[in-house]
Amino acid sequence: MKSLILKDLYNIGHNAKSMLLILLVFAVGLIMSSGVESYIISAGVLCSMMIVTTFTFDDNCKWSKYALIMPVCKKDIVKAKFIVLVIFCTVGVCVGTIFGVSGGLVMRKLVMSMESIVTMLFMAFVGLIVSVIFGSMSIPLVYKFGAEKGRMLLLVSFVVPLAICFIVYEILMLFGVEITDQLVFVILCASPLIALIWVYIMYRISCSIFSKQEVIG
Amino acid sequence: MDEILQIKDLTKSYRDFKLDRVSFSIPKGSIMGLIGENGAGKSTTINAILGLIKKDKGTVRFWGKELDSSKQIKENIGVVFDGINFYETLTPEKVGKICAAAYKQWDSSTYQKFLERFSLSKGKEIKTLSKGMKMKLSIAAALSHRPKLLILDEATSGLDPVMRADILEIFAEFVREGGHSILMSSHITTDLEKVADYITFIHRGKVLFCKRKSELCRDYGMIRCESDLFEKFDRADILAYRREGNQWNILVGDKEMAKNKYKNVVVDTITIEDMLLMYVKGDKPNEEPYIKGFV
Repeated sequence: MKSLILKDLYNIGHNAKSMLLILLVFAVGLIMSSGVESYIISAGVLCSMMIVTTFTFDDNCKWSKYALIMPVCKKDIVKAKFIVLVIFCTVGVCVGTIFGVSGGLVMRKLVMSMESIVTMLFMAFVGLIVSVIFGSMSIPLVYKFGAEKGRMLLLVSFVVPLAICFIVYEILMLFGVEITDQLVFVILCASPLIALIWVYIMYRISCSIFSKQEVIG
Repeated sequence: MDEILQIKDLTKSYRDFKLDRVSFSIPKGSIMGLIGENGAGKSTTINAILGLIKKDKGTVRFWGKELDSSKQIKENIGVVFDGINFYETLTPEKVGKICAAAYKQWDSSTYQKFLERFSLSKGKEIKTLSKGMKMKLSIAAALSHRPKLLILDEATSGLDPVMRADILEIFAEFVREGGHSILMSSHITTDLEKVADYITFIHRGKVLFCKRKSELCRDYGMIRCESDLFEKFDRADILAYRREGNQWNILVGDKEMAKNKYKNVVVDTITIEDMLLMYVKGDKPNEEPYIKGFV
């Protein structure tokens, strides 16, 4: 499986400069308009989208066919994609935090203090959770519809988690549960677990789709 | 176990094509050539052997075991498809690192030697390599994890004769090392004539024959005659026939018998390409002649 991860990292490495440039451009635009916090989350989400690009590269060179002749199974291939996604998201929020904090200080949107450092680190954590949740939705979509259609369906991977959150919110309202700061804190503390369960479900769906596919190209 | 690969009754149905009970075996230390026209089922057979497509029926056994039974089996199989399967921005060096992480048996020094032998620069991106060089890189990657069986799907297609000769030499060297075998699908029959020990001919999804190449050259023959002589031929002696103007080309499966039975005819030795053409383009005695048989 290490080989599969390495392959994706080498492939995407070629696009790293473009991604850095995009993050810089976004930094200028987003920090000014929406603040450093939004930028950090956006950087993670942007980098999570690169997982779809790795599928496009794979399609171009018929990689999946070759991967399956290596000593790996279909589950390993899917697992590697999720690991690569987490790597992309982690790099995204780390770079986003560095750019965001630097940009925030330069643009005077941020004051250097212990409180702001903790807030930024917390936002990086939230950004990681959000981008992993969004990104992991795109993987089964790409397995089902292919890299090209999957790219177009990326919106779905944003809409579905948001819709689920909205439905949960509505249900809580229906039962008269008040959204207090304490509840938000509990949800945030539980968010890694929620993300893990979400990723596991997406992994199982991806495995199920991929296992039924014939890999001839 | 003398047979490295045993395929029995391999069947796979599609809406418009059926791979129909394909069976053959590859003995240790031999090269099996898989021939057939485009769309005959060569690649489908290889894909089914490698588990890339799900077979409907039949068994595929490598060293007596099913492919999914152990990852070790895959360590012992090297595969080269008709193009390179690494993304164009990768370099031979990175390809080596990816493969080294995949195979326990990976031998970096062997890979290095192949790169030097093929004049492949370690840092050159794949997109800058010619088709032949890309193929050599694929072969280097396939051979550097010390496989015992090499499976090649149209690996020499699209290469110039010099490049093909180089590659065929490598395959011959590989088989000379004890116990190694090759399954090589190609529609370039001259390549197979040079290196194959056995030929399996697939036509419209069915195996027409699987024989030693030496037997094919010894037994099969082509008779060229006029219409009056053609009429006198016993249809049971004819495998396929084809009319070219006033001349009839007749493929026979027993050259010696034909020479003895039909005294006035000349029975020529046949190439694999002639044989393929006769089976594909010609008519069969038990079939109604169809238009493409008449040129």
